[in-house]
Amino acid sequence: MSLSRRRRVEDEEIELDMVPIMNMFLVLIPFLLLSASFFHIKAINTSVPVLSSTEASMAPDSKISEVKVTVIVELKENTIVLTAMSDELQYEDLAKLEADIPVNNPEEYPMEELAAHLRYIKESYPKSDTLILVPAPSVVYGTIIQTMDMARSADNSEMFPNVVLSGKVG
Amino acid sequence: MALGKRRKAAKPFIPPKLQITSMMDMFTIILIFLLFSFSNNPEQMDLDSEMSLPQSTSKLDYKDSIRLVLSKNELKLDGNVVATLENDSIVGLETLYDELKKYRDIADELKKNENEEDRKEHILFLCDKEHSFKVVNAIVKTAGRAGYPNFQFAVVEKD
Repeated sequence: MSLSRRRRVEDEEIELDMVPIMNMFLVLIPFLLLSASFFHIKAINTSVPVLSSTEASMAPDSKISEVKVTVIVELKENTIVLTAMSDELQYEDLAKLEADIPVNNPEEYPMEELAAHLRYIKESYPKSDTLILVPAPSVVYGTIIQTMDMARSADNSEMFPNVVLSGKVG
Repeated sequence: MALGKRRKAAKPFIPPKLQITSMMDMFTIILIFLLFSFSNNPEQMDLDSEMSLPQSTSKLDYKDSIRLVLSKNELKLDGNVVATLENDSIVGLETLYDELKKYRDIADELKKNENEEDRKEHILFLCDKEHSFKVVNAIVKTAGRAGYPNFQFAVVEKD
């Protein structure tokens, strides 16, 4: 009888002391609030064309899988013009890679269609890694970044990691 | 007498127990959330409140470099205003060129002394997403002429 009563009393008295934990929380939370970043800034590497003293290498007998093609994407107000250039391909082969994609809404460029064309070029010439982006003066910076995103990777596969930004020459 | 009796009958004061379980729950949730958003490199950027960076899927972290910020109406180089924006064109690009040329000369001097870590070889460009390419092109071309053809375009990570 006395044993059971003692046990009951002990059960009632067990109580966790939360005060030290609360103190720790009160120290940790302001510290974490100060060092928290609620938006993450990332970066996209790019470059502008510069004069180069090195000459492009010529390899007329190289295999298709080793041929490198430089893709040029012109973002115009009402169309996206895709062309390609390479020292290793004939004019006829390069002409097959060209495309004109109409833009119905200047605020929303058809990125999916552009990605499909770029994917075709990448699959045809997998060694290609450079894309020159030539936007029209009125194209907004947000659209340029969107196009760069699409050019670098589509459907989680790498396409053209070297994106060069250039103004229209001439 | 009656008063004394009443006093004797009064129960002893028991300090009220603070019910902190719900507060603990709340603190635990806040702590977990903050631990997930913890950054050992919080962005120390002086950004205009009206400025909105474009979103991107890029996962690349930016490197410490020369910061060029184009907000709605001014261009800042490492926190100092070097040019202004008037009617969709930049006024004062010569100042930007001169300042970047100074940076270039310092970088070249460091290159000679082989202080590789101190050299800043590219520009971190922060630009409002609504600016036209005409404005952006004028700036990147000026930077390219001054010896900085490589850029990192700052973007906000897409969720």
